[in-house]
Amino acid sequence: MIAKTNVKGLAIFGGERLFSTPKSTSNLLRPDIDAFLKYSKISFDQNQYTNNGPNVKLLEKRLARLHQTRFCITFSSGMWALVLAIRALSLRGKSEIIMPSLTYRRMPDIAAWAGLKPRFCEVAPGTLALTAETVEPCINSETALIMAVHPIVNCCNSEELVECGKAHGIPVLFDSVESVYETTHAGKVGKFGEAECFSMHACKLLNGFGGGYLTTDNEKLARKLASLRTYGFVQVDTIGIPGGMNAKLNELHAAMALASLDDLSAQIDRNRRRYHTYRSLLDDVPGIRLLEFDESLKNGYKNIVVEILDEWPLSRKHTVRVLNAENILAREHYYPPLHRKNMDFPYVSCELPLTDKLAERFMNMPCGQLVSNGDIKEIVCILKFIHKNATEISKRLSRHEDE
Amino acid sequence: MNKSLEERFAVLGARPILDKPTPVGQLYFPEWDRYETAFRGIFQRQYYANNGPLLTELEEKLESFLGVKHAMCVSNATFGLIIAAEAMRLSGKVIMPSFTFIASAQSLSWAGMEPVFCDIDPQTHQMDIKRLDDLVDEHVSGVMGVNLWGGACNPVALEEFARSRDLKLYFDSAHAFGCEIEGTPVAGFGNIEVFSFHATKILNATEGGCICTDDDELADRCRNIRPSYGDHKAVNITKVANARMSEAQAAIALLSLEDFPRNRQNNEDLFCEYEKGLSNIPGLRLIRPAGVTVSNYQYVVCEIDEAEFGLSRDTLLAILKAENINARRYFYPGTHRCVGFLDNPSGTAERLPVTERVCASCLQLPIGARVDRRNVEKICEIVTASQRHSAELAALLAKKPELLG
Repeated sequence: MIAKTNVKGLAIFGGERLFSTPKSTSNLLRPDIDAFLKYSKISFDQNQYTNNGPNVKLLEKRLARLHQTRFCITFSSGMWALVLAIRALSLRGKSEIIMPSLTYRRMPDIAAWAGLKPRFCEVAPGTLALTAETVEPCINSETALIMAVHPIVNCCNSEELVECGKAHGIPVLFDSVESVYETTHAGKVGKFGEAECFSMHACKLLNGFGGGYLTTDNEKLARKLASLRTYGFVQVDTIGIPGGMNAKLNELHAAMALASLDDLSAQIDRNRRRYHTYRSLLDDVPGIRLLEFDESLKNGYKNIVVEILDEWPLSRKHTVRVLNAENILAREHYYPPLHRKNMDFPYVSCELPLTDKLAERFMNMPCGQLVSNGDIKEIVCILKFIHKNATEISKRLSRHEDE
Repeated sequence: MNKSLEERFAVLGARPILDKPTPVGQLYFPEWDRYETAFRGIFQRQYYANNGPLLTELEEKLESFLGVKHAMCVSNATFGLIIAAEAMRLSGKVIMPSFTFIASAQSLSWAGMEPVFCDIDPQTHQMDIKRLDDLVDEHVSGVMGVNLWGGACNPVALEEFARSRDLKLYFDSAHAFGCEIEGTPVAGFGNIEVFSFHATKILNATEGGCICTDDDELADRCRNIRPSYGDHKAVNITKVANARMSEAQAAIALLSLEDFPRNRQNNEDLFCEYEKGLSNIPGLRLIRPAGVTVSNYQYVVCEIDEAEFGLSRDTLLAILKAENINARRYFYPGTHRCVGFLDNPSGTAERLPVTERVCASCLQLPIGARVDRRNVEKICEIVTASQRHSAELAALLAKKPELLG
């Protein structure tokens, strides 16, 4: 570990990097190898490596139990869980899907695969979540579905959004990829709206090497999606539903997800400790506000998001650059917002002044299983160093940029 | 002493000839200790997805094995075909055979296109190239050849045709991994070829696939649609598909690639056994892989002529199933008769007479990891006996249709 004594020592100006390996915002959970091998052996012994094998069935059962829903259907990725669910749920003949602009950069692509035009909505400044109030102005006669994306720290008000959908007769689908463990005031995430979708990418809470799943209490929807992910087959040699594809989860990925599930409560403890370390240390950093989890509820404590306040002396862009150079892979939180992106497919163009402002203010900090509490101390030290030396850093960076 | 029919056929109550249900194939998989070593390596590196070291190694090995400039692995072959269609910027309609797995046509639907179904050659089951000319109109932007049954659909002639009509050409080569045409691997024909690494294929990644091309620009687009992490060039594409292959899949594919020569030889040996055992059965024709000089012998495909064999294909299928031989009727009922394509104007019985006939008469027998020579002998034995006793069996089963399930 290299302590920074002067500005020249920052990696961006040629100094040695603080971390020799990158500290990223990916979770990269490594479950117990023996647990993984134990599950693998089940598929191995049965010679079934995919096509709704024993581990997929077990995983679906356990995830449904975790989310307290009747059904869970797994997919090859979270993205295709969403695309197929949107296709299955959208109101027929309608062309638009409402989604927040401040969210996952591929969300418009998901809409495009599902054949819908994204219409972007604002989020509430305090929570970064979409609300009935931000969704309602977007509802019109073309609305096919409301894509309610939970923010990565805390949740939307699920009940309020479901009510809003009901009042207008529009289905609500939750994207809960960052909310596997979360509980809202109305209950566990997973059972709200028509369905909720999750990801098992290695960067998420549950590492399944990749993959996704959907939870629902709607039996008809569950059956339909189980069929659509397998080309639309309803029985041997019979395609019963049009619009199918291959979006099956394989057994290796299911085995990995099961091993990750076994580790879940231990992981949450580790995540909570990381979060508390950030919280206590960031208290002393002026101009940086940690987005706090509502600890009266169950949380995964995985993501660390901070707000750059007006009093922070360096721009967010420069702050991220200085940190990245040290191998601290902090990221601008959902930047650029989706309504500012170039899209080569139909979308509804709009002005979202609040989102524009919010999109400039937040930063994701390194988190996950490869970031230790010691690393966090170092990261916060660098933030303090930046704060103290901001004028000189700024000057040097401008000089760099001029060159 | 001659056995009675009831003592001989499981469908009539005898003990099944195979001990346990035997799928058509391929289901090759590495031994447990190699599996464990590979995964301990992944857990040690803690690199799980997003084009990791095993994926990179796999792609390099595939490029060299297949003799192509770019091999890009994906989560499954359906995504491979979707990405290929998007990368080639096809539009309107694409000519393809109806006699293929449903995913070939579904990939077109997902990429916003409509198939124009072409009939097949009665001898080889490959797309009938002679019919292509009549199918081209101003809406057709490409041709998807399907290399079937460990054979090929004459890619050289197709290339010439596509060039002469200014059409894009790509191949669903899910059945053709490791096949060769006079020393040239099936992989670099047309603009793109797509392979499947599903567990039922000779190269197994549990699920998986691979897009091959020699065209740098197409490769860049495919990698961006997939998408890719790392140093690949960013190019303009419409939308990403999130269809990357994980390190877990790549690990299995690498081991499977090591085993390819052995597994291919095993398939060929088993196929030879089938050839011996099925050669003199009236009304049964074994389809040899066509148009290749090296085949992976991934499928054992038979055509049953009901009049001559004495039993329908479906009756034979039920007889075999009772014997624990899970023979299948790929492709049934044919893409043009599947939901999603029923109203396709090119998909009529009049326009696809050979497809219709083959869909009703063809079946696959087990080959691959789950059968050995002894099993193949037994399978041939029961098929032979079924034909020999077809009249009695037909009469008995007509009286008790419930036995056919």
